[in-house]
Amino acid sequence: MAKALPSYGTIVVPEDRVVPFGAVTPAPVGTQKLFQTSNWRVVRPIRDEEKCTKCLQCYLACPDACWIYKADGETLEWVGDFCKGCQVCIQACPEDGALVAVPELDFEGGVVRLEKPF
Amino acid sequence: MAKESMMTGCRAAAEGAKAAEVEVICSYPIRPYTAIMMELAKMVADGELNAEFIHGEGEHAQVSVVLGASAAGARAYTGSSGVGVTYAMELYSPMAGGRYPVQMTIADRTLDPPGDFGSEHTDAMSTRDQGWLLGWACSPQEVYDNTLMSYRIGEDHRVMLPQMVCQDGYFISHIPDKVILGEMSQVKEFLPPYRPIHPLSLTNPVSHGPQIRPDQGAPMDAMRAQTFLAIPKVIEEATADFARIFGRKYDPFVEQYKLADAEIAFFIMGAHSNTARAAVDRLRKEGVKVGMARLRWVRPWPTHQLAEALGHVKAVGVVETSTSYGGAMRGGNLVHELRASLYDLDTRPLVTSFMGGLGGETIWPADFNYMAGILSGMVKEKRTDRYVYWLGM
Repeated sequence: MAKALPSYGTIVVPEDRVVPFGAVTPAPVGTQKLFQTSNWRVVRPIRDEEKCTKCLQCYLACPDACWIYKADGETLEWVGDFCKGCQVCIQACPEDGALVAVPELDFEGGVVRLEKPF
Repeated sequence: MAKESMMTGCRAAAEGAKAAEVEVICSYPIRPYTAIMMELAKMVADGELNAEFIHGEGEHAQVSVVLGASAAGARAYTGSSGVGVTYAMELYSPMAGGRYPVQMTIADRTLDPPGDFGSEHTDAMSTRDQGWLLGWACSPQEVYDNTLMSYRIGEDHRVMLPQMVCQDGYFISHIPDKVILGEMSQVKEFLPPYRPIHPLSLTNPVSHGPQIRPDQGAPMDAMRAQTFLAIPKVIEEATADFARIFGRKYDPFVEQYKLADAEIAFFIMGAHSNTARAAVDRLRKEGVKVGMARLRWVRPWPTHQLAEALGHVKAVGVVETSTSYGGAMRGGNLVHELRASLYDLDTRPLVTSFMGGLGGETIWPADFNYMAGILSGMVKEKRTDRYVYWLGM
């Protein structure tokens, strides 16, 4: 009999890298924590509370719903887990200097400083 | 006892879908597969089949519709031919990645060069690396049988992948042949109802098709590849169970016809294997030790089974019915994978390939005689002179 043919081997996906089957997950309420997609951000928008008039142009412009407006306290909250740093909100902001792009490197926990994505 | 009736491959596919009690069907016309949808539309209109029949606005829409239907938990069915298959190309990878076990029936048609409508395998072969199960029938009976077997294999929770069930346009899709349809009791025993793993649901909301991060892409790919390692066993089980229940026995991966003592062999899939079988018989009467290996599954590719089936043969002629312009052998697709499958054998057959059945041309018995002559010459000379021969050119 001829020598054994090569096998296909086995594929072992490390436990901490296993992705949910078909990437189907329980529907997120508010924020999807399983697939945070902001680790390629190089800048983030920083809001100046003094200059901001709460006109909500940033809230309307964001393609990923990363500005959350809470009417009761009139607060604007930034969602770092999904903001890709596209700066569309900064372009949309009518107030000079109310929203500025700050490099991720300037932040201790900036995504560019992470060894592993999340 | 089920009785034999004459029907085309299109009718047989529709009968298979009806027996599988498909719940959502999405159609769009393109010949030659159109008759499958015509038959199904009649069945739905006549109340023989309780399915939602949707007419898509194109093949991209067709495959999108069945993706949604499958996500919602329905057994879904669609199909196409030729450039219709390639128009839906974007959807194939998400369908497999999202693990939706829909079935797409294909009656092969050549891609437009421009506007030919004859049979050729290049349409479905173009999708072979998108993560679907991909298999070919060589008779209307096998079309019916593969429809049921593919649903069973694809919906198995060890698999959960979409399937393409292919038949040659016209040669199979439009020429009637004897078909035995299963009894409903047999079908029910063989094919359990579709059990989705995480269907869309109002009471238990889930998120399908999310954006994942680049670092999650590699494990997802690896998990899909892992699944393909598990599929052969599922195919073997389903094929054996099919034989037990329906009494029709298929080799799970490769039909082996008079190969045991063969010196030369044709490697082929689909309709033209019927001519090949007849040619083998005629050539044997003339003393030529020839056999045939017919591929039933292109994905998963049965590497070891082919090495086992063809390892002892001295020369193999791959009969291609698809094109791979500029590919390694400058001919078709099958020869690359067959040569790779035989490479690690201690002694391996000489392998060449023959381009035939393109654009709907018939491969005639005389063509097989010609091919056998080339293969016998290779055995005599102990060398492969050419990678590829274009029949009649």
